[in-house]
Amino acid sequence: MRWATRRHCHIDRAACAWLIRRFLDPEPEFVFVDDADEVPADATPFDMRGAELSHHGGDCSFETFLRRYELADPVLWEIAKVVHEADLADERYDAPEAPGVDVLLRGLSMVRDDEELLALTGPLFDGLYEYRKRALLTGREPA
Amino acid sequence: MRTLWVLLAYRLPREPSTPRSALWRKLRRLGAGQVGDGLAALPLDARNREKLEWLAEEVVEAGGEASIWLGELASAAQERELASRMAQLVAADYRTLIADAKAALEERGGQRRRTLGRLRRELRRIRARDYFPPPERELAQQELEGLAEVVEEPVA
Repeated sequence: MRWATRRHCHIDRAACAWLIRRFLDPEPEFVFVDDADEVPADATPFDMRGAELSHHGGDCSFETFLRRYELADPVLWEIAKVVHEADLADERYDAPEAPGVDVLLRGLSMVRDDEELLALTGPLFDGLYEYRKRALLTGREPA
Repeated sequence: MRTLWVLLAYRLPREPSTPRSALWRKLRRLGAGQVGDGLAALPLDARNREKLEWLAEEVVEAGGEASIWLGELASAAQERELASRMAQLVAADYRTLIADAKAALEERGGQRRRTLGRLRRELRRIRARDYFPPPERELAQQELEGLAEVVEEPVA
């Protein structure tokens, strides 16, 4: 499938792309655009104004994906807290990792293009998923 | 050099008032300057543009109208006036923080350390919306450094 989003990805789009590849579409093709008018007809837009898979009612796009695709995995909701706070910093959740993740991704986006950014952040989110999964299973922060 | 701005032009129904006050709080947290009734401005960068675009979306979802504009003020004097109004808002926030930090000097050890943590987070939040730093910014920084010096290390 083809997926379209805005150029110059940051945390929310990087996390959504990871979610798509890992849980929704094993062979996604991502198209990066500057304006909603450039979204190809056969592509599903996300994290763009006017798109269904976007910010809604205070949710960031990652949270919208979890709701729309009914991904009830509690580990994903743990990741959603980090993504939400790194993206919006509105203190809806307590996610102390968020400011760090925000800085790391912003820095990375300064030295890598979007394709490379998604390739590099994929394993980062894999790791975050594993960490949060172990924390949920054991009830404490894994060492 | 003239500042480039991203502007949110919006119109929301009078009632219900919740979306209006929520929007106002969010604009305030971003440090946006109110240019007129239903027009808010931030210095243009990718992050601010995105933030205002999401707010525009929320306005539309709440039954209002919103558009995003990019622009610059034709008059340098009016730009200075807008920047100075925005600086006065954050200056007031810095002054509150300075007063809190001074008051914390009288607190007991554990309480004082918690206050320091809270004020450091607050300083970060204010700095994130401070585009035209007033002198109070430096003073707030110094006041917190002074407080940190009298906060003893936590007992492990």
